[in-house]
Amino acid sequence: MAQSEDPHVIVTSDRLQSVIEALSYASVDEFDSCLDLLQRSGEIKDEFSELETAFSIFVRELGEAKSELNRTLAQQESINRELEAKLETIEVQQAAIRELSTPIIEVWAGVLCLPVVGIVDSQRSAEMTETLLETIVAKQARMAIVDITGIDVMDTKTADHFIKMARAVRLLGAECIVSGINPGIAQTLTHIGVDLTGIRTLRSLRDALQLYLRETEQLVVHQHSQLARKLTAEA
Amino acid sequence: MPVETRAFAIQGRSDAIVAASQARRFALRFGMATRRATELAIVVSELASNIVKHGIRGEIRLAHDPEVPPRGEILIEAHDVGPPIRDLQMAMIDGNDDQGPIDPALILRRGGIGTGLGAIARLADRLEYRKEEEGKVLTARFLLR
Repeated sequence: MAQSEDPHVIVTSDRLQSVIEALSYASVDEFDSCLDLLQRSGEIKDEFSELETAFSIFVRELGEAKSELNRTLAQQESINRELEAKLETIEVQQAAIRELSTPIIEVWAGVLCLPVVGIVDSQRSAEMTETLLETIVAKQARMAIVDITGIDVMDTKTADHFIKMARAVRLLGAECIVSGINPGIAQTLTHIGVDLTGIRTLRSLRDALQLYLRETEQLVVHQHSQLARKLTAEA
Repeated sequence: MPVETRAFAIQGRSDAIVAASQARRFALRFGMATRRATELAIVVSELASNIVKHGIRGEIRLAHDPEVPPRGEILIEAHDVGPPIRDLQMAMIDGNDDQGPIDPALILRRGGIGTGLGAIARLADRLEYRKEEEGKVLTARFLLR
């Protein structure tokens, strides 16, 4: 390489042009095209070509850093998406937990069943009352079976409120059966002297359903015999 | 033996349900009788329900302290950043909130029957209340027997 003492370096305008072009490629993230261009123009070895080489190293590093950043961003985005999906699942599950705390099943037309499991506090017993009474009106139910087989312990006042719920059901013109009272709850109820008149209690949900069937059967038989009598009278 | 702790952030009804069922397991793990552990869960549920209703946001903290005689205790702390209880004695009476008797017509809409604090006092071995700089803390204790 010829080193001249002249402080000036002579560069043809097309070399300068290609560096400018390379720079413009770099500015729009087209690092491959940029490096290509620098490679081609770097054939002449002089002081300007050193600048070109330094520039191309810088561009290569920038390109690598940029693609690394893009990869990280993409990863981050997929993590975010996953997180969002998880949050959505949690919301759905929270709604399910809330719903499951007072499930009301219409086991027959006009017969509602409220199976109570888990932990009953005063707030939950208030929510149950509200939901049950509303559902009785909405579904025009004739009977509500509240099954508390799954409950071992209740606070005395909560138990008291529970019995009041059964009484409110009667006020709406439906019958309320409480089934599955366990010994602990039975003691709680008698201990606080709850008035159980007008509330039917049965040993199990099965007994409650059988009672309903027997009664509707009798009703159907009664209706049939009335109809038969009417028909014979007409004949 | 170190004190073992757990904490649950309470923001909604479902958090209260989760905290109560986890508290029951926590108590059972330290040898509490099933019936008593369910009573403890009811207390946690009442405390968490109160946070949801009045406390804006809060946390239930459980701790097992083996040093308390005779066989250790389970400590339940309900922290929240809501306004203080104006009149604790008033609120403890069944059917009341901290300002007096709750109008029965409002009970359904409020989602409460005013017996929560009474229930906590009945079921727990001890109940303490303290105001803090920001919010309040209710502490219920259950002895392990």
